[in-house]
Amino acid sequence: MPIRRIAADVGGTFTDIALLDDEGRLATCKLPSTPANFADAVVEGALQLLSEVGSPPEAIEALLHGSTVATNLILEHKGAKTALITTEGFRDVLELRRIRVPNLYEPLYVKPEPLVPRHLRLEVSERMLADGSVLKPLDLDSVHTAVARLRDRGIEAIAVCLLHSYANPEHERAVGEILRRDMPECFVSLSVDVLPQKREYERTSTTVINSYIGPPVGRYVEAMVKQMRGSGIGGRLMMMQSNGGILDADSVIRVPAQVVECGPAAGVIGAEHFGRRNGYRDLITLDMGGTTAKASIVEDGALAYADEYEVGGSFSSRSFLAGGGGYALKLPVVDVLEIGAGGGSIAWLDKGGSLKIGPQSAGAVPGPACYGKGNLAPTVTDANVVLGYLNPAVLAGGAVPIEARLAQEAVGKIAAALNCDLLAAAHGIHTVANANMMRVVKAVTTYRGRDPRDFSLFAYGGNGGVHAVDLARVLMIRKVVVPPGAGVFSAIGLLYSRQSSTWTQPFPHVATAFPPEEAEAKFDIMTRRIEEVMGVDRADIEFRHEADVRFLGQAFEITVPFSAAPYDAGAATRLSETFAAEHMARYGHAFAGRFPVEIVNLRLTGTLRGEDPPDLRMRAQAASVLSSRPAYFGPVHGTVDTPVFGRERLDATPRQGPMIIEEYEGTAVVPPDCLASRDSYGNVVIELPASDSPNEARR
Amino acid sequence: MTAAIDPFQLEIIKSSFDTIADDMALTLMRTAHSGIVRDSLDFSTSICDAAGQPLAQGVCTPMQLGSFYDAMRKLLSLYTGRIEQGDVFIFNDPYAADGQHLPDIYITSPVMHEGALCGWSVTVAHHSDVGGIVAGSNAIGVSEIFQEGLRLPIIKLVEAGRPNEALWEVIRTNVRTPDKVEGDLQAQIAACTSGERELIALFARYGTATVLRYADHLQDYAERLTRAELSEIPDGVYAFTDHLDGLGECPEPIVLNVKVVVEGDHVTVDWTGSSPQVKGGINPSFPFTKACAYTALRSVMRADVPNCHGFTRPITVVAPLGSIMNPMFPAPSGARGITGFRMVDCLIGALAQAVPDRVIADSNGGSTLPTIAGYRDGKAFVFCETFMGTWGGAASHDGQEGVPHLGANQSNVPIEMIEADYPLRIERYGFLPGTAGAGRHRGGLGLVREYRLLADEAILNVRSDKRSHPPHGLYGGNPGAPSFNIIVRDGERRIVPVLMTEVEPLRKGDLYRHEMSGGGGYGDPLERDPRKVLWDVIEEKLSVAMTRTEYGVVLKEHDKTFVVDEAETEALRARLRAALRAGA
Repeated sequence: MPIRRIAADVGGTFTDIALLDDEGRLATCKLPSTPANFADAVVEGALQLLSEVGSPPEAIEALLHGSTVATNLILEHKGAKTALITTEGFRDVLELRRIRVPNLYEPLYVKPEPLVPRHLRLEVSERMLADGSVLKPLDLDSVHTAVARLRDRGIEAIAVCLLHSYANPEHERAVGEILRRDMPECFVSLSVDVLPQKREYERTSTTVINSYIGPPVGRYVEAMVKQMRGSGIGGRLMMMQSNGGILDADSVIRVPAQVVECGPAAGVIGAEHFGRRNGYRDLITLDMGGTTAKASIVEDGALAYADEYEVGGSFSSRSFLAGGGGYALKLPVVDVLEIGAGGGSIAWLDKGGSLKIGPQSAGAVPGPACYGKGNLAPTVTDANVVLGYLNPAVLAGGAVPIEARLAQEAVGKIAAALNCDLLAAAHGIHTVANANMMRVVKAVTTYRGRDPRDFSLFAYGGNGGVHAVDLARVLMIRKVVVPPGAGVFSAIGLLYSRQSSTWTQPFPHVATAFPPEEAEAKFDIMTRRIEEVMGVDRADIEFRHEADVRFLGQAFEITVPFSAAPYDAGAATRLSETFAAEHMARYGHAFAGRFPVEIVNLRLTGTLRGEDPPDLRMRAQAASVLSSRPAYFGPVHGTVDTPVFGRERLDATPRQGPMIIEEYEGTAVVPPDCLASRDSYGNVVIELPASDSPNEARR
Repeated sequence: MTAAIDPFQLEIIKSSFDTIADDMALTLMRTAHSGIVRDSLDFSTSICDAAGQPLAQGVCTPMQLGSFYDAMRKLLSLYTGRIEQGDVFIFNDPYAADGQHLPDIYITSPVMHEGALCGWSVTVAHHSDVGGIVAGSNAIGVSEIFQEGLRLPIIKLVEAGRPNEALWEVIRTNVRTPDKVEGDLQAQIAACTSGERELIALFARYGTATVLRYADHLQDYAERLTRAELSEIPDGVYAFTDHLDGLGECPEPIVLNVKVVVEGDHVTVDWTGSSPQVKGGINPSFPFTKACAYTALRSVMRADVPNCHGFTRPITVVAPLGSIMNPMFPAPSGARGITGFRMVDCLIGALAQAVPDRVIADSNGGSTLPTIAGYRDGKAFVFCETFMGTWGGAASHDGQEGVPHLGANQSNVPIEMIEADYPLRIERYGFLPGTAGAGRHRGGLGLVREYRLLADEAILNVRSDKRSHPPHGLYGGNPGAPSFNIIVRDGERRIVPVLMTEVEPLRKGDLYRHEMSGGGGYGDPLERDPRKVLWDVIEEKLSVAMTRTEYGVVLKEHDKTFVVDEAETEALRARLRAALRAGA
């Protein structure tokens, strides 16, 4: 049977490939990434899987691709040599940022270097005002002077961001035209095309990122397509965007900033799909790998989006509130928060005698102490080995041999310092890692006014299933779902992604008094852009109309549905009511109607209509070996001899724990007081006891 | 009998406290109405135990954070026995309520669980206006607190769930920006509600007694960590003197004298010998003085000390009553932030002698606070923002540019927001080349910001510093360039005081320009890597002429750009060193 979709998720260390045939049978593989040319591993893996299932490569309709390439370009400062053109008097906006720093009490803090150095940030003489009127016309001579200064300097990309261009893009467009004519070799992006929104730093930074990664992302896509064709793989190259939709690579390279941080989105897309098909509409997703844990939510089948994002400004242990530690990117992104708590995170004691996990990580190399590759410090994985949760001899289905003795020695240091026994220390490390992860889960739920108890925990990544139940306990969540292919789940998520595109337009009006025809005109502009970007007619696209709304006087908006035309008084009332209800849910008050509601932006998302890919069906596989080993489940249950097997031995009838589901891609731990079953999709579903007190496991 | 403490459970509960305080900060920021709260982020949040001891604090303004305990203690001394579920307290007065200054309004609500008082949600936010002689309520030329605006003792804004409408009306009537003040107060109440809800959920989850027991242990743990950190600082007495330029047109310097006495695991910060309180709105209340000491000491600690009360126990702060750090009624305090910044800077100057690798040379001295206010269509507008900031050089790197003061982690306000909301146009915002203090690691450049008035008339009030006492260098580094406040009217420039005791009336078209001071340098400028000097020239942060005078570096033109002339540089540096030796 010919395979139509194949997915490749490229990370810095591993490339995960997945394919699905028309009957829903899944095949996956994991290869070391090939940084010299990432396409090598992608094509090798794809060909390997295709030959495994006996499908011809030329029959592929689309290769769905997610990659950390754009993010890494920024983090490693390896983007294009980029210049910035901005309004006279404001060339330092990019470097000054928003002033705030990510941590308090750090006099030795060093800011990230700007992506464009000062001498390549040039000013042109012009000035727009907030209402879009022209204070000072664009002085073309100043543009030509700037062009002359940039010539022969090896500039590959230029960003243009002029003050108030969201209100009137005329000057930006004029500068863009000159640049495209006089410096045709350069990748040029205008802020109005990337992010037509108020707030000059965020708009400038986003536009600069777009230009900075434009040329290398273009080369990356080119190399990927060339390699595909060279090896006979047919079909289009589609790339995952940070908003969770895929787009044709040709469209992506025009606004490459959209693919920054697309990796985490793919897993959440997969979770949403698996959840929807199985009736879990409210999910907290937890992706726990070797170095980080990432969390997001799916609420009533819908993903959570954010559009304040910083590349490299990941969740710090003190607070994610402060910001300022990374590069601001204000494009719609699936709201995934990250914390440095993975299997490789190192456990240590501070001067006050308190146990800390991370942010230092032993990574994949040298890895946890039990790898025997030179790291002697205890990691979360070492604790899980001591507890019996992980196989004491091999990990990753035999790919990584380990020595349990080394894990015991490492964890023993913590036990000695805390004067407790080895198992208590290991359980403590496991628990504190959960406490760290609790903060990211909280950040995606209670910070939005959502109660985690209303959600199921959908756990993937190599370590997701090892920690999910105990984390769920702390959050008082009753159900944990561990999908098949948990270790390559982002690639699986890619298989279920759809083409989609999101645009915004500024629309500064009070909700009760906006011109309906202007709203329709703006939505029409965005509709045409989405048609153009997706290359299909609007009849084939499902649209989601939204507005970014706030109370007059506030600075932060909430995105709420804005039902389609006609935009009459009824629509305005519904908008205000929906917003007030959401404000109430998030913040516990809505100013009792004392403040008018103000629209800031209109937002349109188009998603390609069509049928979902087939549901996943488990491939027939040989029954796994049934074995057992002792595992420690906290002071209440103590050490219990625990059966160990693969998920195919479970069925729809819940079975009492303890048990350990051990597979190539990952492990799921089911404590004695929980029930586990397998649903028709192959998910392991773990139910926690009803009257559970989180203290129980600890007492 | 005390139950054993499980260190892992302690970590879980600590994480929960931190999350609750951050959650409160997020709610406050996202729903606030004034620029100074929602954009500059001049506010703080905390949860406290029943005795008012902070358990955790949102990542906000350190100088506000350390003063919560004194205010809560005052509240408890007045209200114990009369605290009910659904109460919301409000206060701001430094004398009647142990507050900080009148614009900083506290909103706090008790957390009641199973009929008992178990804790507090506390917020403080800098309000856009609380009345008084100058819009924005940061007047400098005042002599008593009565001139500064609405004084609120500790009173119930909401009593057992019933809003005190009369009090709301009094507040609305006494402030110039009633909508913003009300919006911000509501945002503070919402933050308190969120803190209350989450703390109760925590009690429900682990049991009140358990949580409170661990809360006590958290304080002990923070104290232990602090003592361990203080023990690593060499014992000794570290003294330093710093200055505020002073008030008005012909300012008399205000002296800050500090002695930091490190003895084992304890430290005393003694301000004896500093200037007496002044007739101007820059006298910090003593709780604020303590908070500034905590900020500076916390900044030289390496461990991740929890932001809770226990951290302050090994630190004693002394300031004679009647000194500027501990003023007596009715000394005014509206613009006391500048004195707070200077206290932190002065302490860093002292600590530099003890831990030279953990400090930076002097910074630009904290935010400049311009207020431009007037009336538009019969309604008051009050524009006020915190303009920051640049740091001195460090042992390991150059001074950072575009950063907040250590004492106040705040943001700038987007120009596009200002121009949409106020009759102002920002005409310039960027670096001032050549203003950095030279050093092996140079200071950060000062910044410039220009504001043009578009309304017919307005007043300008500015709180700034560092003209006659620019940021000092460390270990041979030079001071940064001094700051200036300039008004340009019809093309004519006029320099106005750093701390204005009288507001400047502005007319339509007038331009106010603030030139920030540059950060101090760290180490001998003649030891600076000439390639870094060259890079500053390429980056247009330093003129070619200054490379010779400041750094002894000679550049030559080569292929339309500059390169370092190694031989000439070596020769020039040798001559400069010899001259210095001869002069010494």
